Amino acid sequence: MAPISTKKTVLIVLTVAMIFVLVGVFVLSFSFETLDKQAGKLGAEEKPVYKAPFADYNIPGLDNTWGALIVGVGGTLLLLVMGLVVAKIVRRRKS
Amino acid sequence: MHIPDGYLTPYVFIPAFAITIIFWAICLKKVKLTEKQVPIMGLLTALFFAAMMMNWPVVGGTTAHLLGGASMGLILGPFAGGISVTIILVLQAFLFGDGGLTTLGANVLNMGIIGVLVPCAIFLVLNKLVGTKGNKLYAIIFVSAFAGDLLAAVAAGTELGLSQPVFQYGLNVAIPAMALNHSIIGVGEGIITMILVGTLLKLRPDVLQQSPILKRLSFFQNKEEAKE
Repeated sequence: MAPISTKKTVLIVLTVAMIFVLVGVFVLSFSFETLDKQAGKLGAEEKPVYKAPFADYNIPGLDNTWGALIVGVGGTLLLLVMGLVVAKIVRRRKS
Repeated sequence: MHIPDGYLTPYVFIPAFAITIIFWAICLKKVKLTEKQVPIMGLLTALFFAAMMMNWPVVGGTTAHLLGGASMGLILGPFAGGISVTIILVLQAFLFGDGGLTTLGANVLNMGIIGVLVPCAIFLVLNKLVGTKGNKLYAIIFVSAFAGDLLAAVAAGTELGLSQPVFQYGLNVAIPAMALNHSIIGVGEGIITMILVGTLLKLRPDVLQQSPILKRLSFFQNKEEAKE
């Protein structure tokens, strides 16, 4: 089987990424990690040294679900661009 | 597995930062990418950011997420994979408050270094010991990815256990708790990594052939020999 084109690869991977975002926002959104459970039992608290603009994957003033959806889609596209830019810089520097 | 600010003491997070900075320096010096790997690095970075948004139920009402380190390490190589995971973690910390800034070094150490290097190392050892013919390939991918998640969780548990008095449980409780819960998501990581590598092997073998890790597969080496 001949390899598929880069365009098709981009389309397939981004479609899967968007499905992950949708599942993450609408189905598997509840987060309670082990370390949070342990910290809760001990009374240990988060002490943020910085206020993130989209804390907890939400957009201030927007409904949590819609905020998470926008942040998820936007974050995925932003990371695509960042990953590409860094990869191109690495490629150019080494060639 | 993202450790927030306030959970680790400076005795733990400062050495973690030091290790991470050394790793980054090595990564930037050693990393090599081919033209075909450039879009794949961008795509995998985006894909695993999205994958980390899914919080899978594990045990005791807790959740865990995929790390992606095994996939990125095996497909892009340990250095490019480490850089990709770090990009995700930095963005998550600065934009979404997922993981702290003081603990960023520890988070990169756990997910971007251990979560990437361990699967690559185990894959290379098992490739030599048992080979990758037939289903053995998928078995060693699964084991490598599972071990990567498990050891990343053990590292996080160790950092938390050493952070007294914040985490008074100590190592004997923190490590097993993290390891048990993340061994369950490790199974998921193993399955996702098998599916991803298997799919790329069918659809984009040209990309996998350029991976510093997967190019050692007998599948590619036989092709090279046939060419010669």
